[in-house]
Amino acid sequence: MLQFGRFVVTRAIMALFTLVLVSLIVFTLMELVPGDCAERYLAFKNTQGSGISVEDIEVERQRLGLDRPFFERWGSWILGAFQGDFGDSCILRVNIAQLLGDKFWLSLAICLSALALAYLIAVPVGIIAAASNNAFLNNSLRLVSYLGLAMPNFLLALMIMLFSTIWFGETLTGLFSSEYRDAPWTWAKFLDLLSHAWLPIFILGWSATAFALQTVRALMSDEIGKLYVTAAAARGVHGRKLLWNYPARHALGPIVNSLGFDLNRIFNELPIVALILTLTDAGALLIEALARSNDQQLAGAIIFLLTASIVALNFATDILLAVLDPRVRKSIIR
Amino acid sequence: MSMNYKRDQRATALDQKAKEAYFTASQGQLIWARFKKQRAAMIAAVLLAAMVISGLFAPFLSPYDPTIAGRDKDYTNGAPQIPQFCDKNGCSMRPFIHAVERERSLATNFRWVTKINEDKRLYMQFFMKGDKYKLLGFIPGSVHLFGVDEGKIHLFGTDEDGQDIFSRTLHAVWTSLKVGSIGVFIAFVLALIIGGIAGYYGGWVDSVIQMITDAVRTVPAIPLFMAIAAFMPPELTAEARFFYISLLLGFINWPTLARRVRTHLLSERNQEYVLAAQLCGAPAGHVIRRHLLPSFTSYIIVDLVISFPYMVLSETALSFIGLGLKDPVSSLGVMLQKATSADVLLSYQWYFIPVIFFIVLVMSFVFVGDGLRDAADPY
Repeated sequence: MLQFGRFVVTRAIMALFTLVLVSLIVFTLMELVPGDCAERYLAFKNTQGSGISVEDIEVERQRLGLDRPFFERWGSWILGAFQGDFGDSCILRVNIAQLLGDKFWLSLAICLSALALAYLIAVPVGIIAAASNNAFLNNSLRLVSYLGLAMPNFLLALMIMLFSTIWFGETLTGLFSSEYRDAPWTWAKFLDLLSHAWLPIFILGWSATAFALQTVRALMSDEIGKLYVTAAAARGVHGRKLLWNYPARHALGPIVNSLGFDLNRIFNELPIVALILTLTDAGALLIEALARSNDQQLAGAIIFLLTASIVALNFATDILLAVLDPRVRKSIIR
Repeated sequence: MSMNYKRDQRATALDQKAKEAYFTASQGQLIWARFKKQRAAMIAAVLLAAMVISGLFAPFLSPYDPTIAGRDKDYTNGAPQIPQFCDKNGCSMRPFIHAVERERSLATNFRWVTKINEDKRLYMQFFMKGDKYKLLGFIPGSVHLFGVDEGKIHLFGTDEDGQDIFSRTLHAVWTSLKVGSIGVFIAFVLALIIGGIAGYYGGWVDSVIQMITDAVRTVPAIPLFMAIAAFMPPELTAEARFFYISLLLGFINWPTLARRVRTHLLSERNQEYVLAAQLCGAPAGHVIRRHLLPSFTSYIIVDLVISFPYMVLSETALSFIGLGLKDPVSSLGVMLQKATSADVLLSYQWYFIPVIFFIVLVMSFVFVGDGLRDAADPY
């Protein structure tokens, strides 16, 4: 038990370290942007008709603390970030935590559902495909996997929109019906969300499913040929019991480990799919922040949050793996 | 009897020869022999070669200039025109299309309406003079593979500015290939340097580099890429923008490759031939370049081919949201930008024809990469 505790603590420290490193990367990128927040804010004000001067910018810089050295600002940013406070948006002048609000959680929920969907399909289908010698099944699975690679999610989203407009005359976009958009959370709003969210979940899960299918199938085919499976079969274990208790348990480790990277892949597609389906989530905000208003504070916060959820998932899968597989625990601590 | 003996002898000699050819074959010949046996990969390779060639000669193969200069202002949002041999007025040996007329009158409620005139034929001409272009960027020319004697032909239709979608598609394929190649090259150089150092030295150097690589890999690439691309100065020229985007693709995609290089190096660096070179006093750079890298060149090539589609797809995605390449450059992302509008979805579905080309392009890269991987993994 003590050993397990030490394992968890080591992993937590490693995850924390990764987060700090990532925050440094993100913060540096934010700093590299030509023009800082003060200039941007005042430039925006300028378009409203009021003139600005160099002194105004200096005063604004001091007010925002932009005159402090780089590492000091990074330190305060990261401290705030861990408490869920990312400061104010450069242009909208609203607190970012407030602005993101439950939009981020909504995005995360959609992405995690997509991930869950991908593995719910991929694990059983992949195992069955690896176990069977059916050429048709294997070839069609191969084709689906390749299509998942070749047809990026945003193209799939476009195609679905194309066909739904041709056949149903409806574009299937958005996350909420208009009457629920600004309403407080209720059961009815949740149901309304579900009736809209299945499409983005399916689209985001599409290529993750293709990847996961390939991983599961490859791992299972490797394991099935091994001697311990033959030995078990010789002892009279057969059918589903043989498949699930022997090779599947061995293949589980790498599969659990690949969860984090699949979430990463889903996040990659999130902003673009959000744009096509006109979702009102964090992905759409990210595009808004980047493509339209050049708001580095907001963009940095969103990227950091996305990465933090991947790191958190990686941490969770590490722990899960250690619970499932004692070899992993022991390999870390000797 | 003796004839039989002779035949046998000849057969064994042939056999011997085949065996000898096998044992003395270079790595490349072996890979090619194994690659040839995979049908799917071979078909993909042929398709890919066709794509590369059509991209290379895009200015010649496409009837019009892909930019706004080659637009057909009388046929905007025009439907694809398919060459035919027969119509209600009989058949002809030379393929033709029907002329299109635009009219605006009381009958059309004063809007421009295009109408096909089924009685007027425009015959296809081959090797005809048209828009000027520079083949491969420096060979000037103005001959196009096909066209029609008067008016214009649009195999895949036109977009809202009247630009020929067929011409743009061919150029876009070439753009994707170029972006991908530059991106892969940059990622490759970075991966070699970073992965090479990590793998060769091992120990704490390796740990530190791995930690950083892993951190970079955790950040979702496309949002990060968007963040960097968004802050490019907007006044860049199309060429500079193109170069920046390729550069960025390379910078974002190196970690996976670097990891592969490192893994290969870690397993190879304890081999005897490395020790021998080191004992002879060879410096680290020499050992990496002349001894270690050649030991897994084929793996690296496979990795490069496999990472190519991701570059192409990232570029398309970025251009699509307006952060990548911009209008004078033809690229799938740029062409699809307008495709989300309701007008296009409802009435101008030919905007989506280029998508087929891209799926074929990406798929053939994936299949060729897979085939190469199987072929390169002999032992």
